[in-house]
Amino acid sequence: MDPSGVFFTNYAGDRSLIRTRAQWASLVFLILALATAPWWASERWVSIGYTTFITAVAVMGLQICTGYAGQINLGQSAFMGVGAYGAAVAMGAGWDAAAALVIGGAGAALFGVMFGLTAARIKGFYLALTTIAAQALFHFLVLNLPQSWLGGAGGLHVESISVFGLSLENDRAIYWFSFAVLLIMTAGAFGIVRSRHGRSFEAVRDDDVAAGMMGIPVAATKARAFLVSAFFAGVAGGLWVVALRHVSIEQFTLFNAIWMIAMMIVGGLGSIVGALIGTAMIQLAREGVTSLGPSFIQWVPALGQDFVFAAMNVLLGAVIILFLLFEPKGVMHRIQITKKAYRLWPFSY
Amino acid sequence: MIDFFNYLINGFLQGQIYALLALGFMVIYRASKVFNFAQGELMMLGAYAVWTLTIGADLSPWLAIPLAFVCAIVYGWLIERLFFERLVGESVFSMVMVTIGLVILIRGIVLVVWGPADRSFPVLLPPAPLIVGDMIFPSNLVIGALLTLVVTLGMSWFFNRTRAGLTLTAVAEEPTIAISLGISVKRAVTLAWMMGSVIAIAGAIVLLTGRSITVQTADVALAALPVALLAGLESIGGLILAGAIVGIVQALVAAYIDPAIGGSASSIVPFVFMLLILLVRPTGLFGWRHVERV
Repeated sequence: MDPSGVFFTNYAGDRSLIRTRAQWASLVFLILALATAPWWASERWVSIGYTTFITAVAVMGLQICTGYAGQINLGQSAFMGVGAYGAAVAMGAGWDAAAALVIGGAGAALFGVMFGLTAARIKGFYLALTTIAAQALFHFLVLNLPQSWLGGAGGLHVESISVFGLSLENDRAIYWFSFAVLLIMTAGAFGIVRSRHGRSFEAVRDDDVAAGMMGIPVAATKARAFLVSAFFAGVAGGLWVVALRHVSIEQFTLFNAIWMIAMMIVGGLGSIVGALIGTAMIQLAREGVTSLGPSFIQWVPALGQDFVFAAMNVLLGAVIILFLLFEPKGVMHRIQITKKAYRLWPFSY
Repeated sequence: MIDFFNYLINGFLQGQIYALLALGFMVIYRASKVFNFAQGELMMLGAYAVWTLTIGADLSPWLAIPLAFVCAIVYGWLIERLFFERLVGESVFSMVMVTIGLVILIRGIVLVVWGPADRSFPVLLPPAPLIVGDMIFPSNLVIGALLTLVVTLGMSWFFNRTRAGLTLTAVAEEPTIAISLGISVKRAVTLAWMMGSVIAIAGAIVLLTGRSITVQTADVALAALPVALLAGLESIGGLILAGAIVGIVQALVAAYIDPAIGGSASSIVPFVFMLLILLVRPTGLFGWRHVERV
């Protein structure tokens, strides 16, 4: 809903995503604040920043698949792994990081669409559960392909990474690169969900039989949702290689996929901004756990280190379930309600 | 030839253990339409409960195992009371998401209470293998397979023949109509979670006897997933056949193909096999076909 007094005299205005000057100003401010962060924030915050950006890319993909198309996807972590290996091999062969990200994304999309294509026959829970097979298949392929291809259990190491001739050596460079990729992918995600494909995703989510009767090819739409989701995951995997310079299978577990689902739930299903907010909140909470943990132990030394970390995990798990019970539409929904109330004030409707 | 039969029968027995784990998924699904992603975590929680009672409290297994089952009933009830009671009438999607939250929560609780260290699970079943002629069977597998047969047939009878079981079936088929017929969905869901937790402990005892347990033990339940999907999520009796198929195929691949390619193809064969079967029969071998209406 637009604030009172905002109306457009041309169609371009009505179609725009950013509708008021205040929205433009806050967006520009946010981007500037995040872009200049490496100059004013400490090194630790910079590394927290880029891990959040990388996870956000994967969670946005998941949001399109689960939040928009309604397909539970437990393979996101495996898709990210495929992208990471694809990008690592490309970068190892001396490719530019930007090209390697695209290769990683394409590889992951190819792997993801295999599971999406089964949607032509398999529906509902059966489909959600077959995505777990992605995890098993990913582990098997990495461990059993020849050692010289993917490095087997030891993983792959990438020596030097550069993008457009600039070397991605320090944390700052990695931060800016992943921020730029996040911006591009966010713009892409908004484009997808507003397009014809995004609309058919939502139709399939709400009722796939009805969607089929409206002339939407249901199976192809589901396959496409997995394709897009896996592409985002693959790009995130590529960024992961840029950040860590090392890939191995234990970085991409089913438990990670479950955390990504948790981020999406906290942010709010069916909202791209929700995916970003949810990722930032959970990542910051997890970082808070790791940095507050030690000082908490100094304060109450009777509790061991293991206890404090585990207790924080319980807390995070409980927060996620409480969200599902009491705010199933996520933080984004609450923000919308607050915004609406603020715009209508002092009237109630 | 004797080797071949040995592989065949051991595969069959192993498959029945998977079927027991899969039964845990299925019982909850049959009574509440919820696929419980935290089934492995329930099993791990059960395993730690058994560990505490037998090794921690040093009770005799004859006392400890019934007590562990009581614990399972209590936490099954608690899970329903705390989380699912509030979700009666909500979409299945959000209930499934809650089970995903449970995965994180139960893992955290286990880490808080028992810590990350390895614990050795007590040897509850006789360790000596059973030898019949030239064939050798691990006795925990034999006992486990017998247990699976008894429990699966019992559950199948319960769900399809008894009044209480049929009300659960009604809830699974159409919760709204079940409510209007006077069936308490809440009670059905409570019963489902209690049964799911108890079966998870039974699975833990059979599978983990004499091994070590950590938080990662929960992942084992995923190996049972192909069995559950192959049988069809509603068909409890079908588990015996599906378990046999998956177990035998896996054992034969492990025996004849793994050495040839020098890898562990047997770990993914159940998944690939499951995908192929599902492409032909999308609801598994014996799953219900729903007529969808708009």
